[in-house]
Amino acid sequence: MTGPLERVLGAFLADPEAPRYGYDLMRAARLPSGTLYPLLARLEQRRLVASAWETPRQEGERPRKYYRLTGEGIRVARLELAQAFARRQRGPARAGLPARESPR
Amino acid sequence: MRAERGLLRAGEYLLGRACRQLPHDIREERYREWAAELPAILHDRQIGSEPRRAVRMLGYAADTLRGAALVRVRARRPLPHMMIVALCLLLVTGLAVVAWDIRAVAGAPGDPLDYLRLAWGALLVAYPVSMLIRTVSRVSTLIVSGAALVGVAVNLWDVTRVPADWANYFQAALLFLLFLGLWIVSRRARAGQP
Repeated sequence: MTGPLERVLGAFLADPEAPRYGYDLMRAARLPSGTLYPLLARLEQRRLVASAWETPRQEGERPRKYYRLTGEGIRVARLELAQAFARRQRGPARAGLPARESPR
Repeated sequence: MRAERGLLRAGEYLLGRACRQLPHDIREERYREWAAELPAILHDRQIGSEPRRAVRMLGYAADTLRGAALVRVRARRPLPHMMIVALCLLLVTGLAVVAWDIRAVAGAPGDPLDYLRLAWGALLVAYPVSMLIRTVSRVSTLIVSGAALVGVAVNLWDVTRVPADWANYFQAALLFLLFLGLWIVSRRARAGQP
């Protein structure tokens, strides 16, 4: 799993039920739009993310497209993030370095 | 207010360019989605001063264009094996032509025709390179059109030197037709884009 994907999934999992729009995800994942939108399109193609248009709350606002993890998306995201975390924990130990200790 | 409208239009222009890189069926939806964020970024007080917000908004639009272009390049089908062989042969031929022309220029530096031939050879090298590194098709078309025009110029120059040699007229006409064909095809391709 790539770093940007990990950050996007992490941002979604912060509140899995909450619908998120592109700019909101850009800020949460600290990713530029040119990286985020192709990632979202790929996640949507794999049906891990669903999108819907929401009508603007205020007059003059443009309608926004909101993204939300699907049930399968939540499951895969949790699994992928857990695996990535485990890989990071194993990484330093394999290289002969002490594994990072969890804060007490 | 006018400045804000101008900034929004600049952002929308960049997003429009980005959408041109996408398949027809998703262009409009993507444009609506991306363009909806422009005023949101421009009015985001968390970013700070107005100039910073403007820069951030234009950066957003420019980066969206970069992302769309990258997706388009990645989505292209790989070149067929025979095409790669043909391009490599063309590249070797082009390099040989360039080496020959450099030799000619070094031998008689005062002859402008040799410089024109050298430019032609350089374009012959540039075309297979542009195809092999998968630049946007418009660049490759531009290189071939340029090569055809320079080829016409070289042959017309030869005509003025040896007016009796009909091969030069024939080659010039052939290259001009190639240029004309490419120009028409690229015009039609551009007209097909919204």
